[in-house]
Amino acid sequence: MSVAASGAGSSLAPQRHGARRVGAGVWLPLAFLAAGLGYPFLLLVANAFNVGDPQALPPVEYGVANFVSLLDHLDWIGNTLLVSISATILATAIGIVLAWILYRTTVPGQRVFEILIAIPYPLGPLVGALAWSALGSPQDGMLNQLFTSLTGIREPLLNIYSVPGIIFVMAIFEAPFAVLMIGAAMQHMDSALEESSTVFGAGKLRTAFRITLPLMLPAILSSALFLFTSMMGAFAIPTMLGTNARFYVATTAIYVLFQSYPPNYPLAAAIGVVLILITALAVWLYARVLKNRTHAVIFGRNYRPRRLSMRGWTPALLAFECLYVLVSLVLPLGVLVLASLQKSGDLSWIPTNWTLSNFHYVLIDFPTTREAIGNSLLLGIGTGTLGVALATTIAWTVHRSNSTGRRLLEQVTMLPQAFPRLIFAFGFMWMVMSLPIHLYGTLFAVLLAYIIVFLPLAYRGMSGVVVQIDRSLEEAARVSGAHWGRMMRTVTLPLLRAGVLANWVLLFMISVREVSASLFLSGPGTQVLGPAIFSFWDSGGLPRVSALAVVQAAIILAAVVAVRRLAGSKAEQ
Amino acid sequence: MAAEDHVASGDLRIAAEAGRPFIEVRGLTAAYDAKIVVRDVSFSVTAGEHLSLLGPSGCGKSTTLRCIAGLETPVEGEIVIDSEVVFSSQRRINVPTEKRKLSMVFQSYAIWPHMTVFENVAYGLRTQGVRDAEVRNEALRALRMVGMEELAHSSATALSGGQQQRVALARSYACRPKAILLDEPLSNLDARLRTRMREELRELQRQFQLSTIYVTHDQEEAMAMSDRVIVMRDGRIEQEGPPLEIYDRPQSRFVADFIGAANIVSGRIRQPGSGQPIILDVEGTAIECAPRAQLPRPHADGSYMVAVRAVYAELRRDAVPALANHWPATIERRTLLGDLVTYAVRWPGGTLRVHGFPNDLFDEGSSVHLHIPSVRAILVDAD
Repeated sequence: MSVAASGAGSSLAPQRHGARRVGAGVWLPLAFLAAGLGYPFLLLVANAFNVGDPQALPPVEYGVANFVSLLDHLDWIGNTLLVSISATILATAIGIVLAWILYRTTVPGQRVFEILIAIPYPLGPLVGALAWSALGSPQDGMLNQLFTSLTGIREPLLNIYSVPGIIFVMAIFEAPFAVLMIGAAMQHMDSALEESSTVFGAGKLRTAFRITLPLMLPAILSSALFLFTSMMGAFAIPTMLGTNARFYVATTAIYVLFQSYPPNYPLAAAIGVVLILITALAVWLYARVLKNRTHAVIFGRNYRPRRLSMRGWTPALLAFECLYVLVSLVLPLGVLVLASLQKSGDLSWIPTNWTLSNFHYVLIDFPTTREAIGNSLLLGIGTGTLGVALATTIAWTVHRSNSTGRRLLEQVTMLPQAFPRLIFAFGFMWMVMSLPIHLYGTLFAVLLAYIIVFLPLAYRGMSGVVVQIDRSLEEAARVSGAHWGRMMRTVTLPLLRAGVLANWVLLFMISVREVSASLFLSGPGTQVLGPAIFSFWDSGGLPRVSALAVVQAAIILAAVVAVRRLAGSKAEQ
Repeated sequence: MAAEDHVASGDLRIAAEAGRPFIEVRGLTAAYDAKIVVRDVSFSVTAGEHLSLLGPSGCGKSTTLRCIAGLETPVEGEIVIDSEVVFSSQRRINVPTEKRKLSMVFQSYAIWPHMTVFENVAYGLRTQGVRDAEVRNEALRALRMVGMEELAHSSATALSGGQQQRVALARSYACRPKAILLDEPLSNLDARLRTRMREELRELQRQFQLSTIYVTHDQEEAMAMSDRVIVMRDGRIEQEGPPLEIYDRPQSRFVADFIGAANIVSGRIRQPGSGQPIILDVEGTAIECAPRAQLPRPHADGSYMVAVRAVYAELRRDAVPALANHWPATIERRTLLGDLVTYAVRWPGGTLRVHGFPNDLFDEGSSVHLHIPSVRAILVDAD
């Protein structure tokens, strides 16, 4: 009672003098985002209404003809929605189950599975699509060949080049994000809320549906929204698994319109605008559902959530975890490694037939892939560094200053999340082409695009870090006689260190694996890994593209190991 | 006995300083956004004095403390520490926190988790540029004082709440500040530990004789530790004085209610004649009240209020007819609280809460005699 009362008192703590000014911490990031996000968006809209010369920029004639002709291709939008909604539901369901097993039950192996389940996300959809096309292709997929040789049945076991196949691969590679977000909420939930439900006579199932699920709803919806937007803009999986079946979604249609001769930019832009409208609608729905709900309700202080003993169910739950790791990590990485060691496209299990020449080729002989690897590392480092710096500045301004406009800044910072990344990159491409300075076709343009699209993720991460640092830790330094610089050096920065490094590594990993945002922006001389793997898949043959994908996976796994080390040293503190 | 000694030595010390205020706050007004949380507050602290700012949450006590520390910037007013003006709205002076040479204990302790216990305590000394050997001595001495010397090199995050509290205290005493500010330092501890830390804090205070401003919402803490208490309410000072004076002679209904257990009885004033005792008429029952120079502020309906502390009302088995304020009464309910027994007593003026001790119990329903010494019937300002 007394604690609660005084706690409320301290939250009312007045703010510092000079609160009325709009600090540089507000307007600099706002200006950056307005230019980097707003202008591409305007260009996208302008192009969508361009009915004159499709190459003209800005358009000379405006009309709605593009949207009218889009009516003939409603299947693109319909397919996108079908795939995105189904995959979001599947990924969220997987996420809920896995998070619940990891954090709320006594099923063993939490530490190991926590890591294994997280890895598919940074590996990314491109590696996933490539691996699963090698596993589940109806003609020569490894699983189908295995099935045929075991049973003698010629009919393939599974066909990954199908709508369910696309949904499945999309879901399993995005599910770790849901595990992360929902898991965080589950770890913070006060188990007394569940216990009291049991005390009042509710069984495990009733408690799960009436208490746990509603309390988790904000986290579940927030993760579902993120996944939905991400899947609306998904490119690698629908292209690599759907093009064979002539199954087009919005992003693949945009790419085809972009590649065709002459390119039909206005129609592509119109598709982009429709996609953004759909994600905006999703954001609105999300905000509506969560209206009047406070996330804070579920957070207790220092609770160690009581875990449910699952007794007889333990093997089944453990098997579910293993199955997930098998299909999302072991099989994909296994088939890629195996394929990368082959001399030809046929998979041989005999080690004497293996060769490392594919690695030699992609790492050394072939300049394009060699460059792509170097450029991707540079981009990863650049995005990590600048992205975290920007996100930290914004998080600091939003949570620690009294600058007017800091709420606006927070909303604008989260805005890129509503843009499917490929669509954003499409608009961004026009912006860099229209600029008087030479930016198009440079690595710097890709870097800027990455920073903008990953800013919401980086901001989310750094917010968590900044919020955790109690303001009184800094105030104690000031009262002890430390001036601002000394306080930063001895207290603030050391406290931020672990969080900054963890978020840096996250940005590094998702930059290295990114394909949607760089597809339109990278080109000759600015090859990066994602698009390089993609174009290699078209032309390079399975062993070589597998070798390149294995290289990408190795970079990402090295980063995962690094982040675990950091997390470990943080836990020791 | 010991407490009396201390008061005596305190008096001598204050006399030696000739009552010179060491910290002075004048006309302090603080606000956040448009909301004013401290209104025109003035008080001073003499050298070595322990002052408590007491009040419910949101009364502005913490804000006042933070203004003195320089962690908030007041809208108006002046703050002087040791003859140096550290803040003045008129003269546009605002000495930054780190140059005010104070120290502070936070409610959350604010122990830096990335440093060892020793590094936490040594921090203030190091910012002052003290030599390493001396830093070591001083920091260890401070840790010894709070009994934390053995844990000097353990990580600060491995500490329990009480230990963190001790480190925070050692940290604030180690840096040789001009004054110590404490912001609800004990509120996160459990009751037993809180009592013990209260004693330890009092002991440290006695050793160092530093001017101390102590913010709390716990009247026991304020009573037990302070030379003087300021009761705050809605950003203003409600009453100021030594603990016993505030307890015995509350100025207002708010103070009477907030500190200790008091009965508030309201009625009409009878005979406000000169030299005569003031009589409060409670539905026909007359209560003789403690003399008072001026009548207090009445309630909106014209009635006056009298505060009677539950411990100062007396219950007797036999009548003593000669006494004033003496009535037959009935025990309605008895509640055993452990060290205390509280009775709901039915008397002609209504129902009164009276404290007794477990060594002499009255049964429920029994007839007793209630006596309220007239000096204990304090007329107070109505709200």
